[in-house]
Amino acid sequence: MAAAARLLGPIDQRWLLRLLLFLGVALAAAAIDLTNTALGRALLPAFGSTIGVDGGPTARILIGIVLGVLALLNLLLLKLLPFRWQVLLMWAELLLLFLAFFASFDLSYPFIWSRLIFLVQAAGVTVYVSLLSIFFACVLALMGALARLSRSGPAFGIATFYISFFRGTPLLLQVYLIYLGLPQIGVTLPAVPSGVIALSLCYGAYMAEIFRAGIQGVPHGQREAARALGLKEGLILRKIVLPQAMRLIVPPVGNQFIAMLKDSSLVSVMGVWELTFVARTSGRAEFRHLEMLITAALIYWLLSIVFELIQARLEVYYGKGHRR
Amino acid sequence: MKVNRFRLIGLGLALALSAVFARDAGAGEVLDRVMKTKTLTMSSDPAYPPQSFLNAQNEFEGFDIDVGREIAKRLGAELKIVTPAWEVITAGNWGNRWDVSVGSMTPTSERGRVLDFPAIYYYTPASFAVHQDSKAQKVEDLSGKVIGVCGGCTYESYLKKDLKIDAEGVPPFDFKVEAKEIRTYETDTNALDDLRLGDGKRLDAVMSALPTINDAIKNGYPLRVVGDPAFYEPLAVATAKGDPEFDAKIAEIVKAMHEDGTLTKLSQKWFGADLTRAKAGS
Repeated sequence: MAAAARLLGPIDQRWLLRLLLFLGVALAAAAIDLTNTALGRALLPAFGSTIGVDGGPTARILIGIVLGVLALLNLLLLKLLPFRWQVLLMWAELLLLFLAFFASFDLSYPFIWSRLIFLVQAAGVTVYVSLLSIFFACVLALMGALARLSRSGPAFGIATFYISFFRGTPLLLQVYLIYLGLPQIGVTLPAVPSGVIALSLCYGAYMAEIFRAGIQGVPHGQREAARALGLKEGLILRKIVLPQAMRLIVPPVGNQFIAMLKDSSLVSVMGVWELTFVARTSGRAEFRHLEMLITAALIYWLLSIVFELIQARLEVYYGKGHRR
Repeated sequence: MKVNRFRLIGLGLALALSAVFARDAGAGEVLDRVMKTKTLTMSSDPAYPPQSFLNAQNEFEGFDIDVGREIAKRLGAELKIVTPAWEVITAGNWGNRWDVSVGSMTPTSERGRVLDFPAIYYYTPASFAVHQDSKAQKVEDLSGKVIGVCGGCTYESYLKKDLKIDAEGVPPFDFKVEAKEIRTYETDTNALDDLRLGDGKRLDAVMSALPTINDAIKNGYPLRVVGDPAFYEPLAVATAKGDPEFDAKIAEIVKAMHEDGTLTKLSQKWFGADLTRAKAGS
């Protein structure tokens, strides 16, 4: 008996999960009335001719059951494929669901198409501002992390003050301070440089902590061994510590890049025509802001997918020593 | 009439900054620059049709834009448009980044501390919109209802009954609506988006500029206007503090545009009505 239960255990568990999936999909589909959608209209005649149900709660439950069975079949069929194909098909299915969701908004595609070029131009500005800021933020972060780890009191003081202030105040306020505050002491910067400075300072502060954690994450023995070999401190940092720290730094920094891509929209308060600004204003006259906002969201997503791919390659590169 | 998106932040910062440093344009400085460079730089927020918006070619269009263009023409200058956020404009201390705001700004006394208002160029009627299915027939019917409005704008002040407009030529008005609940939004269009969902679904009515409501209706929003305008709001050209010569020149040009019918013509073109003269609030 016990042996049989042990044998059945894992199988039961798997089927329990599948049952939950079926119930979840079926209940969700029944809860959000789908009788009036394209799917509902396709299924209802079939129900009508076979079991004489034309609508109402029964039809909703029936649609739920059909969708639940489809979801279950889908899962079982996917299981037959190799891992890579499972992932690819899952992405494709979720993407289709997503698009179907957007399609239900009754959007005007010709309108999106006619304004797409302006959104793409604006995305160029977004990428330009983000790349510049990412570069300067990395420089600031490295300097901040080294100062934070140094034994010099003033350097440590400056670094901790900088990190504390720029992590502790909202980016929007920093943008305002730089754009509105600096002219009061006679420095009037145009909008894009102001934005790049604000983004670099803010993200430099966050990333300084990431860099510090990465540097501290390199085992102490590495440093000691390098010293024993007679290497100079600067060389140890460049050739021994940083390359190993990069493996730890790249994933969280990739996170910051993607976050910055979207935070760069804050420079629009200074009148920079980046993606969010154009998306917000372009459709106003025709009361079609939803079209523009959804398109902008998709462009942001595409851009961050590109960043994700770059990050994956960097991870492979710096992870060389740890691959087996 | 326009809303301050991050108005608390912007206002706080503006006050702090202007308290610490007060550096305004010097006398004649702005006018000299405009005449020398032959460029009038104007700020505008293209999120407000039909005053200012981007057309299908992504170019500026609208009533404010046309007024700005005409002012530039009469100064003998080219018009250049920049798009800082509303709270950056109302913060003052423009640092010579732009010369003038033709942005449908209400000349309130708070703003008067950091900006000059040389000329009023038109008046916006403030009206109530309801869903087509609503039973309301007159403004008084909206008492005890949930009313949506832009946060921090004059319409919210009206509903809270603390609106004061002391510009010249503005007819008196009284508060006719006792809202059950005032719901504030970032911009008027967001409130209209909620009202279109259905009568009483999220809102019973929205108070906004009559041209904005009419534009929404023209674009298929299932709404209608209730009663006559509640009040008329003066809207002014704004300049940086400290250049009386430039202010006088702007005042003179806008006065001439009032007198020769240019403003009336532009108002007819964009609003389908002459809004350049205030009428008594109902």
